[in-house]
Amino acid sequence: MFDLELEKVIAEIKAKGKKKVLIQLPDGLKTRAQEIVDRIESSTEAAVFIWYSSCFGACDLPLGLETLGIDFLVGFGHNKYHYTRTGW
Amino acid sequence: MVDTLFIDGIWEKEIVLGKEVLEFFAQADVKSVGLFASVQFLKLETVRDQLDQAGITVKETKAKRTHAATQVLGCDAYHDSYSDSIMDSVDALLYIGDGLFHPKALLLSQARKKSIKDIIIWDPVSSLMKTLGRKDIEQQWKRREANLKRFIAASTIGILVTIKPGQQYLHLAEKLRAEFAEKGKKAYIFIDNTLDISLFENYPFIDAWVNTACPRIGMDDIVNVKQALVNIREAFDPVTALEELA
Repeated sequence: MFDLELEKVIAEIKAKGKKKVLIQLPDGLKTRAQEIVDRIESSTEAAVFIWYSSCFGACDLPLGLETLGIDFLVGFGHNKYHYTRTGW
Repeated sequence: MVDTLFIDGIWEKEIVLGKEVLEFFAQADVKSVGLFASVQFLKLETVRDQLDQAGITVKETKAKRTHAATQVLGCDAYHDSYSDSIMDSVDALLYIGDGLFHPKALLLSQARKKSIKDIIIWDPVSSLMKTLGRKDIEQQWKRREANLKRFIAASTIGILVTIKPGQQYLHLAEKLRAEFAEKGKKAYIFIDNTLDISLFENYPFIDAWVNTACPRIGMDDIVNVKQALVNIREAFDPVTALEELA
């Protein structure tokens, strides 16, 4: 099994007082979306939403979330991406 | 951007190489390996110990865009994607992970080399050993060559740019368009979020396309469409790129 570190996620949401959270999962973890949402919502005051489609990597973060009032994004299955302006 | 937290999703079990991997290395007289993994499988202490006990030297590097040493991303698919290239100095390349997209980047990064080292894959999820070799990218390789030839001959070009935060290269697209203008060629820039290259047929006035988003679009996905698509990196000097692939 893959460690989703939900205790860490819950602690961050509580510490920062986040209200609307979006989770983004690669295809291999999408089946665990229900478990993640239920666990976070039962442990925090936040409403949790699921990004429906692409999750190609940390280069592929959803844009425009502010328009929906979403204040926290949790990207599973990836770590920080180092963008190079000169290209790949 | 909204405040973001990344969760690696680390594989919880101890990663132990199957005996078939060690037997393979013994039979092939492998004395050194380049070790790579996707982010979920970076707890490799046992693997390093196993290789050490087998008399195999382990070499590791940090790829250009990754956050951790040993980690591989799908976009690390060019020869200079690795800060300290170890491809030449080891007998074999070993990848730990559960898919083929990332290890294929290790194959593709060897495009300029005369002989390509196979990738030995140990999948901790299925406990299976697999190998990837030149045959697994042969079709894409031929298509890349063909696409470069069609791109060189093209007079009207479409350049694809995505708004994804880690893939934004509008400045490179504009630079390329300016170079085309100097050569008397016309280029149009197209913007989208997730690029769907099956939509090419909506723009029949484009002779060839240039991808600035994920480099794997110009390496893997090209076999799924009849139109010619090349990566921005090759588009600036397609003749040299063609020589390197040939």
